[in-house]
Amino acid sequence: MKRISLVLLSLVLMAAAASHPAQAAPKKDGRPNGGSLSYGEYGRPATLDPVTSNEMISLRLTELMFNGLVGINEKQEIVPELAEKWERSPDGRTYTFSLRKDVTWHPREGEETKPFTADDVVFTYKIMMHPRTITPLKVRYEFIENVEKLDDHTVRFTLKRPILNALAKFSFKVIPKHGPSNPLYLTRDDAFVQNPIGTGPFMLKNITAEREIILVANENYFKGRPHADKFVAKPFADQNIMTQALMFNAIDMIVLVNPRDIPEIQGDKRFVLQPYNALSYSFFGYNARNPLLADKRVRKAFTYAVNRQEMLDSFFNGQGTIISGPFAPGSWAYNLDVQPAAFDPQKAVALLEEAGFTRGADGFMQKNGQKLTLSLKVPIEKESEAVKRVVLAFKNYLKNIGVDIKVEFKEWQAWKEDVFLEHDFDVIFASWVFDDSADISSLFHSGEIGSWKNNFGGYSNPEVDGLINESKLTLDHEKRRTINRKLHAILAEENPYTFLWTLTNYAGYHKKVRRVAIHPYKFFSYADEWFMEEKDQK
Amino acid sequence: MKLSAIRPIALVLSRELTITALLLLGVSFVVFIILYLSPGDPFSVLLEGQVSTEEAREGLREAMGVPKSWYSQYLSWLTNMLQGNFGTSVRTGLPVLQEVLRMGLNTVVLTIGSLFITLLLAVPLALYSAVRGTDRISWPLTMFSYVISALPVFWLGYIVIYFFTHKLGIFPMAFGYSSGGSGSAWLYALLPIFVLGIGNGTVSEVIRFLRSEMSRVMAEDYIRTARAKGASVWKHSFKEGLLIPVTEIIASKIPFILGGAVIVEQVFNWPGMGKMAWQAAQDRDYPVIMGVAILAAVLVRLGSLFQSVVYVAVNPRASKE
Repeated sequence: MKRISLVLLSLVLMAAAASHPAQAAPKKDGRPNGGSLSYGEYGRPATLDPVTSNEMISLRLTELMFNGLVGINEKQEIVPELAEKWERSPDGRTYTFSLRKDVTWHPREGEETKPFTADDVVFTYKIMMHPRTITPLKVRYEFIENVEKLDDHTVRFTLKRPILNALAKFSFKVIPKHGPSNPLYLTRDDAFVQNPIGTGPFMLKNITAEREIILVANENYFKGRPHADKFVAKPFADQNIMTQALMFNAIDMIVLVNPRDIPEIQGDKRFVLQPYNALSYSFFGYNARNPLLADKRVRKAFTYAVNRQEMLDSFFNGQGTIISGPFAPGSWAYNLDVQPAAFDPQKAVALLEEAGFTRGADGFMQKNGQKLTLSLKVPIEKESEAVKRVVLAFKNYLKNIGVDIKVEFKEWQAWKEDVFLEHDFDVIFASWVFDDSADISSLFHSGEIGSWKNNFGGYSNPEVDGLINESKLTLDHEKRRTINRKLHAILAEENPYTFLWTLTNYAGYHKKVRRVAIHPYKFFSYADEWFMEEKDQK
Repeated sequence: MKLSAIRPIALVLSRELTITALLLLGVSFVVFIILYLSPGDPFSVLLEGQVSTEEAREGLREAMGVPKSWYSQYLSWLTNMLQGNFGTSVRTGLPVLQEVLRMGLNTVVLTIGSLFITLLLAVPLALYSAVRGTDRISWPLTMFSYVISALPVFWLGYIVIYFFTHKLGIFPMAFGYSSGGSGSAWLYALLPIFVLGIGNGTVSEVIRFLRSEMSRVMAEDYIRTARAKGASVWKHSFKEGLLIPVTEIIASKIPFILGGAVIVEQVFNWPGMGKMAWQAAQDRDYPVIMGVAILAAVLVRLGSLFQSVVYVAVNPRASKE
């Protein structure tokens, strides 16, 4: 499903700022090395470096090839990666990282292996922040004032002001100083973006003529050689074919199984279907610029009118969770005390009548002789079958309460212009994807109304603005949680969107691949631990 | 070939090349205007995943050194293009010319392969029915080929995949078309070539056209004379009845086949120009779209150039027309 992707600030993770001893070089877990794993991707990645790339396909690949100063383990704790320990100054404004001394960059042919040093960290930061580098990372690191190299294996970051959970942000991937050809900034013309080297468990071997990306094990990986010999990313134009390819053993893994294909994979003993948390949700968003929709009772009526559980069950095999508010249910900010409104068309009709509408002779609601007719704009997507059904179901549900919905499918870019630039719509169907943060300020703050800004519906509420501002300033996690719970309750009542659901993501893979742990959106964070028994290695 | 035979060809070539240059200029201009007027811009793909404010867009445009007005954008593209620089893809940063040629080669394989299939099916049928008239053998075959031709290629593509790879397992399941063993890669290539060859409405048109041409030639006086003399009818009718119509068909069908290739490449995950164009259109990757349009126009012109050359080679007088 195509989504509006969103970069949000402030990572969630809480962690002890403690030091951990470095791990030994070879993996001594007694699990066999060897075997090749190929997985299907939804297209060809544009770039392969962690700086210029801005899509999920590249994000997954960079996770295999690069490391950050810190990493995040399966329990969502911050753990050392390229930095072996760190220190936070008492005022919370400086972070000093001691780097591992045993890390080397992937070797380039005919070149000597180069060690990873503090220069690379400083270089990466400077590249990211250079005005000519186009990267979604920039906005996330504006809180840093300065970075300096203290010695070859120590770097110090100075923050503009202390922020909550700053440490988690140092998980940005480090690139080598000797990598890009331009020492100041990185653009997509640089050869490095197609042929990068990193410090990660796998290194890029080559890209075939068909744009398959072949990665091989990094023998010198500082956490020990990864178990698998080879990772291959195969691009597919068509989702239907991807599931078939898994069934015919042309690939070993699908990172995100099409909901429609879940039963097929589930019923096959050769495969494992593994759910993982998705930090995203779908919604119907309303344009508050339309006076009809500016009335909260109308928006609320729509939420009561749709049977979300029925849609989820019949179009997505029930694989998901109905939500009541603006956060993904996996998030710490989600308020479980707020229940999703139950399906209640009578209440919906009552609300509309309260808002001054009466049923006309044609069965449609009207006010002052004006029929309640709204346009619903939906972006055309590659796999649009489920989306189409949701949209048509919405039309039907609203028809039952006397609202006429005109559905209009639009091409992605044209849709984005209509919604984010022209604001020419009444209702949209879309989803937001979050990273593991819970910053919704750009979605509902009135300061975010305008061209290409995220508050596309023009929703404005001083109370919400106040809470968002307060939440941004606080350094206390518990306090921020309380604020977010309050925000959740208000927005659930206000219905700037009809919040729908978070779908459960499923990875499907051949059961020969063992010990598979999956990161919610980076996916391959723990792939160096995956292994195959010798008999399964082909 | 004698010099006197080469001269008219050279004449035709120079005329055709001039037309081609003008045509390419026109194509590039029209394509650019359509792109410029369509919603969205190439910056969106770079800004995907971040808050894309108006300022961010403006900053991006400046950082990439893209001129503001449409005519300076077009002129700078044109100037670079004339120096052989087609720019780099906005999405991947790869040089457009190199990528388009690399992908174009795959599409040329698909196009020529499918043309070959089309001719292989259509020529014997057309000749047979031109000479013998419609009979019990040619009628059902012709009808069958008409039906197949009428099927949309995307549907035909899925049906073929379903039968040959799922049900029968004859062809490799390696969608995306190889992995390790390149030995079977060519086998996979057969499917899209076959689909594009028999579908896409080409076979039926070729049959119709060839049959009527051949029948017309067969009725000509000089054929009757040849027949009366006892000379070979085939030898006399070959040039006008078969060679010229076939080259004409090749030339005129290339644009249609390229159009069909966009769909077939998508269905079969074929890494060609059509798929590239589709992706580029979604990303509003202007340099790539322009590059693909130019290459497609060149291919179409090459087709008609080929036709003119053959025509003149067969009939030197035509160069003076």
